[in-house]
Order: sequence, then C-alpha cells, then structure tokens
Amino acid sequence: MKNRLKVLRAERDWSQADLADRLEVSRQTINALETGKYDPSLPLAFKIARLFSQSIETIFQDEA
Amino acid sequence: MAQAKSAAARRYLARFFPAILAYVVVLFGSLWIIRSLHPEGPLLWLVAVAPAVPIIAAIAAMGLYMVEETDEFLRAILAQSMLWGIGVTMALCTIWGFLENAGLLPHPPLYLIFPLFCGSFGLAQPFVSRRYR
Repeated sequence: MKNRLKVLRAERDWSQADLADRLEVSRQTINALETGKYDPSLPLAFKIARLFSQSIETIFQDEA
Repeated sequence: MAQAKSAAARRYLARFFPAILAYVVVLFGSLWIIRSLHPEGPLLWLVAVAPAVPIIAAIAAMGLYMVEETDEFLRAILAQSMLWGIGVTMALCTIWGFLENAGLLPHPPLYLIFPLFCGSFGLAQPFVSRRYR
C-alpha cells in the first residue's frame, strides 16, 4: 500500500531511527512501511496518524 | 533479526543460549550416567529423557519471544520464517521417510528434527526480511 510516510518524515527532518523511536518500533519496520511492502496493523496505523496529526486516509492510499 | 535488539529479543537470547548450554551439559551427563552407571527401570527413563528438558525450554523461549516481541513487523518476519522452517523440516522428513522405506537411508534419531527446524528457520530469516526491503 502506498503511503506518505517518507514525505511526512522528511518534512520534520526526522531520520528513520527518529521515527522508529517515536513509534516504538524498529528501524527495519519504518523501512518496510516506507517502501510500501509492509502494511501496518490498525493500532500502528492509528499511532502513525496521531503522531503526524493527520487521518489514516491522508497518510495511506488504497491503490484501487 | 533486529540490528538493534528489542528488549524482547534480548530476553529471548538470555533464555535461549543458557538453555542450549544446559542441553550440552545435561546431554553429556546423561550419556555418561547411562554408559558408566547402567541405571535401570524408572531411573533409566528419567536419565534418558533429561536432555529433552532444556530443549523444551529452548522451544518455550522461542514461543515466549513470539508473544513478547512488541514490534509487529519483526513478529511477522519471525512467523513467516517459522513457517518456512516447519515446511522445510516436514518436507525433508517426508522425503527421508520414503527413502528410508525403500531401504536407501538409515533411520535417523528423531531428536535431530529440532536442530533441523532451527537451521531452516534461521536460514529463512534473511530471505524473508529481504522481501520487505
């Protein structure tokens, strides 16, 4: 699933490790999320949305 | 696994490796007792089965890691790698079984199945992780 994580992270000038710390996940998890190869669980998606103060739909795009 | 180990991964290593170390000690102790003291009856059963106890502890450590790892992605990698490990182990055992049936291979000790699973599970991990890069 496509997402804007990389852009949102860059806007805040955070490294993958910074974002990983803020979400309490590993750096590999951030990498897998950013490449769109791993889709987060609903709780993690909500956590990401809360961190960036945006809705889940504006961060993750369902390719249809 | 994680480059920077999670707390759960550190706990796992702190459980798994002592269990394997205990296995080596108990295994050699058990073999020595059986060979030199020739226990019989229930005592023989007890001494013979003893090396399985630390192995079961190692299996429990793997299960606990799966439960305690809070990073869902690492958990997903682990689960998929375990499935590969189970698949490879069952496939190899099935192949061996039929070849043994035809008298082409000897009967292997069943306790080798756990190291076979650990090996195939371990080998699967980098391949499974690579798919997410």
